[in-house]
Amino acid sequence: MSKLGRIWRREERRKVEYEARNVREILKEMKDISELITDLSYSAILFNNEDLAEEVRYLEARMDTLNYEIRMQAMLAARDAEDAEKLAGILQVAEAAETISNAAADITEITKLKLEHPLIPSLFKQSDELLVRIGIEPYAYGKSASELRIRSKTGCKVIAIRRGISWIFAPKNEPFIEGDVALVKGTEEGIEKFRVLLRGGQ
Amino acid sequence: MSEEEVRKKLLELKENADVMIDLAYSSLIYDNADIANEVYELEEESDALAWEIQRMIIKDSKEGMLTINETLALLRFVSALEGMCDGAREIADVELRDIDLHPVLKLSIESSDEIFLRETLSDASSLCDKTLGELRLASEFGAWVIAVKRGNRWYYNPGKYTHLKAGDILYMTTTKDNRERVLNMLRGKNERETFK
Repeated sequence: MSKLGRIWRREERRKVEYEARNVREILKEMKDISELITDLSYSAILFNNEDLAEEVRYLEARMDTLNYEIRMQAMLAARDAEDAEKLAGILQVAEAAETISNAAADITEITKLKLEHPLIPSLFKQSDELLVRIGIEPYAYGKSASELRIRSKTGCKVIAIRRGISWIFAPKNEPFIEGDVALVKGTEEGIEKFRVLLRGGQ
Repeated sequence: MSEEEVRKKLLELKENADVMIDLAYSSLIYDNADIANEVYELEEESDALAWEIQRMIIKDSKEGMLTINETLALLRFVSALEGMCDGAREIADVELRDIDLHPVLKLSIESSDEIFLRETLSDASSLCDKTLGELRLASEFGAWVIAVKRGNRWYYNPGKYTHLKAGDILYMTTTKDNRERVLNMLRGKNERETFK
């Protein structure tokens, strides 16, 4: 079993214990995952890439854990009927983010059928946006996406950083370190600019 | 086979799903029922589309034009896309209930540097009658157009050949830094950038 495979299986069976973490943080992570996981699963199909499929499975398992956590936090946070009404909306959004992730993970599982038919992968080529994994270059070590002004200079969005076995979502102010792999969304031209920027060019 | 037709419809469904998720989260960030209603309309449309595609796939399969695995993959793909649309609708549902949104919702959904803009394209703007491909809004201004509303018609995930016209309502995301620049460009004011 691959290293990633072991990680997501562990996540899937993790005992969910109460941990003081606020609803806002959990929901933010759930929203970020719901957006990232769709991009990842499309790329897994397009490139027929098992590593990406494993990332999707990990995120899906993580999402299930978060959905438990947010329910616990919401229950503890409700003091009266008005709180309950509003918190119900939060749980609804959390549940929906989970629904989206499940659906995205289902798309990835289609790769198991080992199809020769290019119809489904071809659907993901249409878009002008690409999602690529880019290894961070020494020039960018210690600098964050926002310091590098990546979005304004290249139009690319750094959706997440894969660091070792963990993900950092929406890593605007997180300085890059050696070994980071950035997951970047952009146009072909933007990605090219991004590569140049990473090497310290303009 | 109607392969080209299936392809076109699948692509439409996939784009609907992507845009619906964007719009659904935006409806909460802006506490905007119009956007949420838009998600509902798209959901109905997508449902009908999914049925239609599934019927086409089954027909092709029955006629021997698709193998069992191909049929299975396509059917599962359609139902997964439908699942994504359902998720988007569930999110929009929160906006449409007659309950004030919990302040935490907006805070957790809003991303730290990305903002959402909805703006009508002024006839004074130099963007009029240009294609998105020519304008290179994403690579030059960090601005992504999610959808364009022209009269009653929506154009989702507009591509490089999409022409912009005066009066179009653009739904886009950009960064906080670029907000003024992008707005001025759409309004045709104080433009420093001009397009050839």
